Amino acid sequence: MTFKLDTLFDEPDKHYLDANDLSTLSQYVSSIPERMAVYRTLRDQEVAVMQPIADALQQQGGHAEALVERSVRNGLMVLRYAAMAMLLDDDAFVEDRLQGWLPEMVKAYETQAIDQQLFQLLNRQLSKLFSPAQVNLIKPSLEKAQSLMLDTRETVTLAGLL
Amino acid sequence: MVSVADLLTDGRLPGNYFAQDLYVRGSTELGLLENRRGDRLLAIPNPLLQAIYSGLDKETGQASHLVLYNCGRWWGKNFYARFCEELADYYKQPLANLSMAEFLQSFQQCWKTHGWGQIHLDITYRDRGFLGVEIWHSPFTAAAPQGQKPAGDLERGIVEIFFTQLTGRELRCAQTSCTAKSDDCNRFILGLEKRLAPVDAMVASGQAHQAIMQTLVQQG
Repeated sequence: MTFKLDTLFDEPDKHYLDANDLSTLSQYVSSIPERMAVYRTLRDQEVAVMQPIADALQQQGGHAEALVERSVRNGLMVLRYAAMAMLLDDDAFVEDRLQGWLPEMVKAYETQAIDQQLFQLLNRQLSKLFSPAQVNLIKPSLEKAQSLMLDTRETVTLAGLL
Repeated sequence: MVSVADLLTDGRLPGNYFAQDLYVRGSTELGLLENRRGDRLLAIPNPLLQAIYSGLDKETGQASHLVLYNCGRWWGKNFYARFCEELADYYKQPLANLSMAEFLQSFQQCWKTHGWGQIHLDITYRDRGFLGVEIWHSPFTAAAPQGQKPAGDLERGIVEIFFTQLTGRELRCAQTSCTAKSDDCNRFILGLEKRLAPVDAMVASGQAHQAIMQTLVQQG
């Protein structure tokens, strides 16, 4: 776990937390109810959020069913990790957990183009579901996941092996 | 139509099983490091690795390469079985149902999380019957005696057995470049024994990986 606040708790051998540290902690604590509200909605509405996206990708996008399934799986996964990252207030969580995995799967199954469309539809869905302030809570982790997925420079292609 | 609810039948979306912060755990009060299934992990100090190389060299001389290669094969056999078992448990389905992409990506992540460096597959020569394997930042060849000969015998053994079991064909593995002789990484070629026969002589005469691959491909 790479919880951002970990650094605060790492140093009791050096000193007590100062006013800035405590203010960081207190900001996080006071943001928890809102984070939990967004988290609960995402959890309870998981299928409701994603089903219209799947339909749109298949009907308007005209993508094959297998490809839509693959992309929707990616979307669900990203949303779950982003929700957790938001709860922890830690964008790095998305990177730590998805790096070395999701970009490779995107490349192996060649879902880059459809994933792009999925993210656009997802953003639209989220802005219907949440207030702008709530969207801002989840946005940084989603954007991190999106750039991670589309950046496959360092990865070794497995696509040719399949 | 794609049904999202059906994609989530048991609510699970398997991801990177070997993610480092999830995989390495421990019962610290007992003094144990463990993986997420509770199997024991062990941190090997670098001086111990160096001592093994040096002890083997002292007692067995040239044969130490063969000893390490055989240790690698032994290790690989067990590693493959355990790796497959862990993945099948995690995905809750027989391994045969798992796609090659998930399997090989898990293998690469597993390697990395154990601290054995980064392992990559090179499929450039796949159509000619060769599979390349690159290992970067290997702790094994970093601790090995530095010289003119490749020293990745442990890795050669484990890679050979791993892919032999994966493909169901009796593959051999030869090492063409090695950090112990100042190359950038450890490179291995997997293929059938008779087709890899010329490799050892070419490596001994100091030829580089690319040149060796050219010769192998040309000889058909």
